[in-house]
Amino acid sequence: MLFLALRTLRARKGGFAGAFVALVCAAALVTACGALLETGLRGDIRIERYAGTDTVVTADQNLHWTKHKKGKTKTKSKPLTERAWLDATAVDTLRAIPGAEVVPELTFSAHVLTAGGRSLDTDGNAWGHAWESARLTPFALREGRAPTAAGEVVLDADLARRADVRVGGTVTVQAGRAPGGYRVVGIAAPPGRDALARQASVFFADVDARRLAGHPGQVASVGLFAAPGADPGTVRAAARKALAGTGAQVRTGTDRGPAEFPAAAKARVTLVSLGGALGGTSLLVAILVVVGTFALSIQQRRREIALLRAIGATPRQIRRMVGREALVVGLIAGALGAFAGLGLARWLHGRFVAFGAMPDTLALKLSPIPLIGAVLLTLLAAWTAARVSVRRAARVRPTEALADAAIERPGLGVARTIGGVLAALGYGVLLLVLSTLDTEPKSTPVTFLTVILAAVAIALLGPLLARAATAVLGLVVGRLSPISGFLAARNARAAAERVAAVVTPLSLAVAMASTILFTQTTASHAAGEQVKAGTLASYTLVAKPGVPGRAAEAARAVPGVEVVTEVLHTLVRAGRDKFAAQGVTPQGVQRTLDPKTRSGSFAALADGTVAVSELAARTKGVGVGDDLRITMGDGVVVTLKVVAVYERGLGFGDLTLPHAVVAAHVDRPAAEAVLVSGTAALARESLQRAMGEFPGVRVLDRGEVEQARRDRAGTQAQVNYVAMGLIIAFTGIAVVNTLVMATSARRREFALLQLVGTTRRQVLRMLRWETGAVLLLAAVLGSLVAYATLTAYSVGMTARAAPYAPPLTYAAVLVAATGLAFVATVVPGRVALRGNPADMMGLRD
Amino acid sequence: MSTHDQIPDAVSLTGVGRIHGKGTAAVTALHDVTVGIRRGSFTAVMGPSGSGKSTFLQCAAGLDRPTSGSVRLGETDLSGLSETGLTELRRERIGFVFQAFNLMPSLTVLENITLPLRLAGRKADRTWLAEIVQRVGLTGRTEHRPAELSGGQQQRVAIARALVTRPEVVFADEPTGALDTVTAKEVLVLLRDTVDAMGQTVVMVTHDPVAASYADEVLFLADGRITDTLTGAGADRIADRMTHLGAWA
Repeated sequence: MLFLALRTLRARKGGFAGAFVALVCAAALVTACGALLETGLRGDIRIERYAGTDTVVTADQNLHWTKHKKGKTKTKSKPLTERAWLDATAVDTLRAIPGAEVVPELTFSAHVLTAGGRSLDTDGNAWGHAWESARLTPFALREGRAPTAAGEVVLDADLARRADVRVGGTVTVQAGRAPGGYRVVGIAAPPGRDALARQASVFFADVDARRLAGHPGQVASVGLFAAPGADPGTVRAAARKALAGTGAQVRTGTDRGPAEFPAAAKARVTLVSLGGALGGTSLLVAILVVVGTFALSIQQRRREIALLRAIGATPRQIRRMVGREALVVGLIAGALGAFAGLGLARWLHGRFVAFGAMPDTLALKLSPIPLIGAVLLTLLAAWTAARVSVRRAARVRPTEALADAAIERPGLGVARTIGGVLAALGYGVLLLVLSTLDTEPKSTPVTFLTVILAAVAIALLGPLLARAATAVLGLVVGRLSPISGFLAARNARAAAERVAAVVTPLSLAVAMASTILFTQTTASHAAGEQVKAGTLASYTLVAKPGVPGRAAEAARAVPGVEVVTEVLHTLVRAGRDKFAAQGVTPQGVQRTLDPKTRSGSFAALADGTVAVSELAARTKGVGVGDDLRITMGDGVVVTLKVVAVYERGLGFGDLTLPHAVVAAHVDRPAAEAVLVSGTAALARESLQRAMGEFPGVRVLDRGEVEQARRDRAGTQAQVNYVAMGLIIAFTGIAVVNTLVMATSARRREFALLQLVGTTRRQVLRMLRWETGAVLLLAAVLGSLVAYATLTAYSVGMTARAAPYAPPLTYAAVLVAATGLAFVATVVPGRVALRGNPADMMGLRD
Repeated sequence: MSTHDQIPDAVSLTGVGRIHGKGTAAVTALHDVTVGIRRGSFTAVMGPSGSGKSTFLQCAAGLDRPTSGSVRLGETDLSGLSETGLTELRRERIGFVFQAFNLMPSLTVLENITLPLRLAGRKADRTWLAEIVQRVGLTGRTEHRPAELSGGQQQRVAIARALVTRPEVVFADEPTGALDTVTAKEVLVLLRDTVDAMGQTVVMVTHDPVAASYADEVLFLADGRITDTLTGAGADRIADRMTHLGAWA
């Protein structure tokens, strides 16, 4: 039957265009997702700073735990979110190895500030080091000399140019507790260029570096060289042996990358989960769309199939023919789409880097694996779609080939009805599941699955829904427009199958777009409300590289200021569970922040204590008075006593720790914000005056803080919008596809209408009424599905059934759907109406 | 009619009834029809719209199953066959010519003709194929697509396809219904020729007395029953008989 399949494909390209386009898009999306996934799993992190050494020794940058499952013990590792520091005794151990040259490295946040207070960095990265570790790259002096005394720095050539200083000039560098003036004694550069590609570098004298880096008794890493005459391999082996059991890791080759950029390791996890969710969703959407287009194409070929049946094709042969058609379409579309997917992967990677969702040090990995995977998955999707559609084809009765045989429209099959009811029930179950999921990574994939299951139910029960809805709509429309409207209503009722085929992708598009857009707004709106209600401070100090500790002290000294709270955010773990945490200055924090305490006292927060959200308390089973072991971002474990349980975890993070604890365990310890509360007499001007010596620190009032928070939430959502926007675009394409296909196939019907005296204008108007009815049905169904999904999501994430959809965005979704639907029916409608209707009647359908 | 007992009929219907639909919506399309089609004969089935002639053809050709009674093709009782069995029987032993939409638009003339063989997984007999193509007058046109042919030529392709498996019976459903009179005549002559020169059995459903006049025997159907038969009659007599059928009688 391959012969027939191929011939049919060649002759009826139009009928398969819908499925083809859908599969090309799916293959492209799957390839792109596969590339992201592979980058996450196996992508190399480019080495910049440690390029000059072949061996780097660091502390263990992963958190490990053992998992017991069905008698098997598995060790799982997750990357730490901040750099883990290495005990300095390792330096001595390594120095004892014969033939080893050891260069300890310190890394700390160090931003050169312009006179206007602007921070000079490269993609947010600006790091200070001791000059002795310049050799790791290696940086060589271009001008001047190495820093030897306190207050001296060497800048990389690019930074010096941007700061517009020369040797002998001074710059303000913010590092440690306060920005300070430093004298530039030299300008250095790595071989062949002005600076490292992804970071600005500032080199200090050893004494300054040690002071600014914090972490006494620790180093960020150690560069290991073989002395002249010594064998690097032997030295490395000796280092491994000497450090065995200390947890220190001896890294070489591409393994050095993660030591240099801990953030890249974190991005890997994001890529894996995002790639998986996006790829899986697009495959499911593809199957759904292809089933729809195949069903339409089979319906349009009923006569042909009936003829084949009459002259001796068995149902099995028909099934095979349709199956082969699908496989051929899938193969061509898969190959083409996979190729396009490579470009898409590059584009996505570029967007993610631009949004700061992933560092571009994590190079995109392009290998044949995602390509082959995408082609195979596309074939699988096409084959699955064909398996579903052939049932319908094999049911075509041979008598339909006879001229005056009445085409008996088969009712909704029992299997189909049962399938539809099961899908609807599954949707209900997923809603319940969703309402118990309280973290973003868990609920996001479930959200998509929920919407898709709803779309499956709509696809299966579509003809029933269409018949019911058009019966109601028909009455109204027929009243409003006695000719075109009447015809439209009759058509929609008679062709419930066709209406259902069109309603499915359209409602899926509306539901998918609404769900994707509004899960973001629902979560961020709830978080925003919590922050707004829980922030009591009248002023907030902010600065691009963070507010230095000294600025907070200066604010405390301003007359009228009563409480100053430094705030810093990080991700920590308690056991295996990951929590967003904030570090706050404990003294008087209840005057600046109100996380809505449920039990205990937030005011009791002090050194050695922690306040937890209800979610964290529930997850970890702790209450006021209990001890909680927390693994900080750098892997250090602290045990803190719970003093309060609060409600507003979404807005403030699930754990609130003393600021000093958080600051000691993050790479960028400067406060992200400093909250200031004071007497009624406290004026903004006096605060601003006090900040005069801290360039870049701005004083915001409550309104400005709120605005800044909204802007920030916007950029975070962008990443999801880009990725999920592709899914929305994909369903949009599916809508156009199906509508064009359904309309183009009605040439004979339109010709007949014209022959019996309906004007072109009336036919087009009828088409518009039909589209309007279909659109209304799809919008209602899609919105209901999205609303239920969002409500469940909201219950899970915010413990309140409060989905939030900005009315304008929702209107935009509906307008876009309307636009798509009308363009995709009226344009092919006009084309179908071209030509002499009498000639049309003779054409094959 | 099974008057010639020594030669077994090509097709025989015994007490065949067919009811469409269920309950109050039930319509009786055939009512206790018993008839035999002689081997090597050209039989026309006539009747007004709704007389059950299409249902007669569907039941006799194994496209539809009677509600009661039995249909035999040669020695084979069709009611005992599964859906696939029926399909294979149509493929091997029955040829079809429909009024329109007879051909697969995606296939060439030759591919359309050999389609039943292909479906059966058989190779075409080259000399037989050449003979059929020559007989229906399509030599030199075998690589054309159906869309490039006239209506009459398309019907000839359909006839060639119906003959290619050397079937026991060819069923034709209004084969001239969509043709002008000149072309229709050519097609009818061709059908007549297959009977006379090749000994083919042909059953044709029509409402056109001129078409029916090419047959050896004409069966008249009205309200699901065979009401009359004529043998070797001209178009005028057949037309006259038609006007006195059923409700008009």
